[in-house]
Amino acid sequence: MSHQTPLDSASPASCLDLWREKNDQLVGQVKVAQASSLFPKRQQLAQDTLEGLRGLLHSLQGLPAAIPVLPLELTVLCNFIILKASLAQHFTEDQAQDIQQGLERVLETQEHPEPWLEQGLGKMWDSVLHASSLLPELLPALHHLAGLQAAFWLSNDRLGDLALLLQTLNGSQRGASEDLLLLLKTWSPLVEESDAPLTLQDARNLKDVLLTAFAYRQGLQELIRGNLPRALSHLHEAASGLCPRPVLVQVYTALGTCLRKMGNPQRALLYLVEALKGGSVLGPPLLEASRLYQQLENTTAELESLELLVEALSVTHSSKAPQLLIEVELLLPQPDPASPLYCGSQSQAKYLLASRCLQMGRAENAAEHYLDLLALLVDNSEPRSSPLPGPPGPCMPEVFLEAAAALIQAGRAQDALTVCEELLSRTSPLLPKMSGLWNDARKGSREPPHCPLWIPSTHLLQGQAWVHLGAHKEAISEFSRCLELLFRVTPENKEKGASSSCEQRCRSDVIRQQLRAAALISRGLEWVASGQDTRALQDFLLSLQMYPSNQDASFHLLQTLKRLDRRDEAIALWRRLEAQTKLPQEDATWSLPLYLETYLSWIHPSDRETLLEEFRTSLLEPHDL
Amino acid sequence: MSVVGSFWPSCWAPAETLPTRAAVAPRGRCLVERGQLRAGPPSAWLAVSLLPTCAQLSPNIQAVYRFPGRVWHLEFLAPRRALYVLCAWKGLYCLSLDHPSRPASQDDGESEDGEPPSPVVPVDPDACVLLDASLCAFTLLDNVLVTLVQGPAQWKMQLFDRPCPGEDPRPGDQIGEVTLSACTPVAGVPGNPTSPPFLPVLCCVLPPGTRVTHSHTWGHGSFVLDEALFGLLFGADATLLESPVILCGLPDGQLCCVVLKALVLPRSVPSDPAALVQILHHLEEPVVFIGAVRTEPWAGEAMGETLSTVHADCLVALGHHGRTLAIKASWGESGNPVPELREYHLVEPVLCAACGGGGHVYYSTPTDLCVVDLSWGGSPADPEEPSGGPGTLPALLCPASLSICSAVALSVAPGEAKGSAKLFALSAKGRLMRCSLDSTSELPGSARATPESTGRRVKELLSGIGAVSERVSFLKRAVDQRNQALASLNEAMNVSCALLSSRGGPRPISCTITAAWGRPSLRDVLTATCLLESSGGFQLGHGWALCVQVLSCSRALDLDAAGSAVTYTIPVDQLGPGSRREVALPLGPGEDGELDLPVTVSCALFYSLREAVGGALAPVDSWEDPSLDERAPNILPEQEGICLPLSRHTVDMLQGLRFPSLLPAHAQVTCLLGPAGNPVDAFLDTRRELGPEPAGPTSPQTKALSPSVACIKVSAELLRAALQHGPPGVPLSCATLQWLLAENAAVDVVRARALSSVQGVAPDGADVHLIVAMVDLCPAGPLQVVEVQVESPSLADLCRAHHAIIGRLQTLVMEQAAQGSSPPDLRVQYLRQIHANHEVLLREVQSLRDRLCREDEAGSHATAQRLLQVYRQLRNGTPAWSCCDPPAPAPTAFTA
Repeated sequence: MSHQTPLDSASPASCLDLWREKNDQLVGQVKVAQASSLFPKRQQLAQDTLEGLRGLLHSLQGLPAAIPVLPLELTVLCNFIILKASLAQHFTEDQAQDIQQGLERVLETQEHPEPWLEQGLGKMWDSVLHASSLLPELLPALHHLAGLQAAFWLSNDRLGDLALLLQTLNGSQRGASEDLLLLLKTWSPLVEESDAPLTLQDARNLKDVLLTAFAYRQGLQELIRGNLPRALSHLHEAASGLCPRPVLVQVYTALGTCLRKMGNPQRALLYLVEALKGGSVLGPPLLEASRLYQQLENTTAELESLELLVEALSVTHSSKAPQLLIEVELLLPQPDPASPLYCGSQSQAKYLLASRCLQMGRAENAAEHYLDLLALLVDNSEPRSSPLPGPPGPCMPEVFLEAAAALIQAGRAQDALTVCEELLSRTSPLLPKMSGLWNDARKGSREPPHCPLWIPSTHLLQGQAWVHLGAHKEAISEFSRCLELLFRVTPENKEKGASSSCEQRCRSDVIRQQLRAAALISRGLEWVASGQDTRALQDFLLSLQMYPSNQDASFHLLQTLKRLDRRDEAIALWRRLEAQTKLPQEDATWSLPLYLETYLSWIHPSDRETLLEEFRTSLLEPHDL
Repeated sequence: MSVVGSFWPSCWAPAETLPTRAAVAPRGRCLVERGQLRAGPPSAWLAVSLLPTCAQLSPNIQAVYRFPGRVWHLEFLAPRRALYVLCAWKGLYCLSLDHPSRPASQDDGESEDGEPPSPVVPVDPDACVLLDASLCAFTLLDNVLVTLVQGPAQWKMQLFDRPCPGEDPRPGDQIGEVTLSACTPVAGVPGNPTSPPFLPVLCCVLPPGTRVTHSHTWGHGSFVLDEALFGLLFGADATLLESPVILCGLPDGQLCCVVLKALVLPRSVPSDPAALVQILHHLEEPVVFIGAVRTEPWAGEAMGETLSTVHADCLVALGHHGRTLAIKASWGESGNPVPELREYHLVEPVLCAACGGGGHVYYSTPTDLCVVDLSWGGSPADPEEPSGGPGTLPALLCPASLSICSAVALSVAPGEAKGSAKLFALSAKGRLMRCSLDSTSELPGSARATPESTGRRVKELLSGIGAVSERVSFLKRAVDQRNQALASLNEAMNVSCALLSSRGGPRPISCTITAAWGRPSLRDVLTATCLLESSGGFQLGHGWALCVQVLSCSRALDLDAAGSAVTYTIPVDQLGPGSRREVALPLGPGEDGELDLPVTVSCALFYSLREAVGGALAPVDSWEDPSLDERAPNILPEQEGICLPLSRHTVDMLQGLRFPSLLPAHAQVTCLLGPAGNPVDAFLDTRRELGPEPAGPTSPQTKALSPSVACIKVSAELLRAALQHGPPGVPLSCATLQWLLAENAAVDVVRARALSSVQGVAPDGADVHLIVAMVDLCPAGPLQVVEVQVESPSLADLCRAHHAIIGRLQTLVMEQAAQGSSPPDLRVQYLRQIHANHEVLLREVQSLRDRLCREDEAGSHATAQRLLQVYRQLRNGTPAWSCCDPPAPAPTAFTA
């Protein structure tokens, strides 16, 4: 057991060569890894290289900073940062610290070390670049590092710092130009000599990547902000730069969106076609195309594009392993559902297609698509689909209800009943105990239980399905259950209500009113159909009380009064109606759920004008007489 | 055939006891669930054994795998017969149990008594299916692999496609990612592989509609909840979609859930993670277990359905410090379904837990294994609680002890009889125990004595005794270790006191250093021998080491002298009173034939605290507090200890000289071999030696030059006084030479032949001639002086020899002065005279040198000659030690 500590007496020159060779060998290793087709092997190799670079960097930074070694050290640092960021596919604070350490090393060589610690990175860059103007041999490596710093700040949206850095790099006066794009363009990174240590990615390439990424980011942001002409110019800039295929598709799609919003649908279409030719990522351009056709009111084309979108999203294209370089994609922001380029998942697209079909009155198609969607969501054991079409959107029960509405609309009432039953059975554990409800109601002591709105809605749709099947008794009982739930149960959980905004509460109140009115009208219509006009009259009256501005109830009431030959009341009602129709129609500020809108269209009296006309003439006749 | 995961029994890897978690799941399909292996890093072991039925539990170990890091978690995938293993700081490995890869080599360096009976299979790096150092937990679903990785600031849950059977076991594309709450970094970094204190717990909740088939991965990593609880916890959307839900217990106490079917595609993560992640509860202590039990009688049970298909109606989560959460669906005041949450406190620390049938939750602490009953009516009901029918949880939990301690992994399977259960427990030492629990006898208060139950009870007691004795042996060992450490420390204190207080006097523990030439290999080597001797009643035991530092003096002048010193550390295993230990260290010459004399050898005793008491400081129950796990080595750094200097010795030229001329003729040949150990050179040298021209290895060039000469003159009076103890009748010159060579091996020959001059060879082969003669130094009166003359062709050797002689003389003079011996008679007048002469001569030197600068070439020659003459006069005409003031002796004569 003996240990010996011999003195390391290698000469610095040979060490420098050794380190350089090590750097070059590691860079070569990355190239090998890049070429490797096996993903895990590649990852392993890249990880090993990263460790190698880390070790090399440590040994270089273990010595006092010296100007002859610094260019190599900075190159190794750049290689390390590039590989680390590309492996992680994002920049982290670690990289900022690495850069800061590199700058500190440069400043260490200076004679008047200033206290850097309290300075920000921007200040440090200032002093480093100022100092290095005296050390021309350091400049290429520093420009390289500056490129990485720019990438870091770009990906973190610190554009002010970025502008200052670029101004310093360009040697221009502070505040000379705030246009980052121009600054980026004018920056010409010094290129290292041919015998310099190898780099993974040189500064010029980095600059091109930065330029494209910046232009695209800015373009997208301006587009979201609604500053369309600026967005257009930035996006054009991005499209004309060095742009990998998938990014180009995104840029073209964004251009399409921008032009559509600017009222240039034809040019937008051209860009979208280009985007579709472009590559494998077909989702965003197809979605954008559907929006474009919707704006052009070309329903067939719109639905076709949506169908294509569903198909395109069903194919999971295997993601290509990213390059071990700083690429444009790495500097782009994470996709945001608010972005116009967000196309969601297959189920989301399917939902969009189905709901558009329903809205456009293509009930058969809508029913089919809804059934497909439910199968996709429920039966698919693979949890790869996202059910909700991006926030905000309907929750799952509403999708079921829309499906049922579409089925009823398409004349498939039996299927609609099945869907409703499925919904109720699946959520039965969440429903309040009805027996307890009645007991409590009789006692009147406890506060009523709460119940989500979709449960009475389900009963409403069930009733309508029975109506279509001609089963009056069942229909009436479903409507009655719906009404019971609507009247005896508080709509929402209290805690939830508190947290949700006022607007949401108002919306749910409006929906509840509408539901009550719709259920009363429906039950009234059923009474009418079974010949019990007095009961119908009662329901219609109640409905009108619930929702005085509801003209549908008034019309049904008017018809019933007429049938019962209660003329005076009918005329009074008619007068009120006439006055109401003359007033401008109340704007539906609260958008109703799609299923409810569909439902309301069913109970909408078809012969409103003829009825009014009839009354008008019948009222005029006695005058003439 | 079933698979049982077992772990390394302690007899195979006794080194360390680390937390081990494993479990063996339901009947017929036993599987290992969660494991941390027992062998210390860097190797981790996993034994896989096959057994025909569960009843016959004598695991026949099929293969032992060794992983590159500690195993944190493992899951068995029945349809693929594959084992997924999460290896610390490495990633996820997949082992197929159908085709166990045969070991390439059987001997892994484990061939000593640590050899396992089965072949050890080092796990191939290619078996790594997911390489991610930040992976902390995973769970498997039908088609999805869910992993939890630790980002820089957050936990991230990632989903991967899991391939179908028969395909490549690697997971496919990442299909989703969701960010959980912020996390505190797990202690330890990849470079420093310490075990983190707590790992997150993942488990999968399946929706009530799921029929658990046998192909399903069903361990305690997943369970089915009944509709009411599922809907309440996870909402209407999850219920409608029948989506599996991942429950995640984080070390900070958060219990959160992620509804899988709501997960969106990668790269389209909504900005608001709260939309996907719901925090169910906060335990405020590390979550160690998540499970579910059935607390109410279930209709399915009558139909003979097994535990695995029971829809649990109560979710249970256990924290490390004993906080337990139970959630059950209940009806609120208004008739609405509401979750009923209850928190209990159990004994901490909870090591692991498992859920069994009948509302039983088993949990293990270092001292006991307990069972609590969550079922309705299983525990005394709270009197204040109205009997609200089903849906109420007990107000208090009464743990019943099972008398098994320190189980680190648990699994429960239903037994054959109704209401009975089989419990598999893995002890901290690696014993896999099976224990049958009968619901009628297991719980206290129901002691019906039937012969079977008595037998079973006896068995249980025996097993309990076994478990307790295991723990006792643990503790005993720890106590012994600490006692030993204390005794050792006491001994060390005594030794230190004795050594430090005996300055000057004889030391109870001494170390003598001698140097001699030896020939361990082909060439001669100067070897220093340190003899450590304990003469007092002291004993040096474990933890003591002898440190010998060899410092070459010539290098000592360099700035980086520290680098040239070589320290040898030799553990002193046991040195009883009166015994001695000899250590020989080669000093050189090295390969280059160089030996830089003088060399200083210093010996010291070092008592390493870490070595002696480090073991005793290691926590006995490392699982008690995992944060203690790696602390012991940190308490005592390696360098910490006591250092007692013993002796110091300088090996100089006089000890390094060899005298071939004094040896018998036959010995000369071999002795004179050059220091460069090349046999061919040696042979050639020998030939030359035997030839007509007798010559040493001196080069012709050195021979051509006349050898340098140095002489030292010492007062004969002084020497005589110092050497008076020698044998009488010996001339002073001979006695002086003997004194000078006293530490050389040749001193005996010199003494025997009464030599006064001797021809030696320096370590590098140059000749060194020592001549001692009596001279009368007397220009003005007789002053007897001993002149020691050194001659050598090599100036370096001359200097070394001169330095050595001067060093001895200095010591001599110091000793004489210390003894207070009367100074020899001294004629001060004469000294003054000499001093005056010197002054004159120095003045002349000054003027000559001035002239030398001014004069031209012709004149300068004469001046130079004159200058040389004056220098000679200056050097020769002075007596050496004429014993003036003893503390300032100075060598005075040096002739070149």
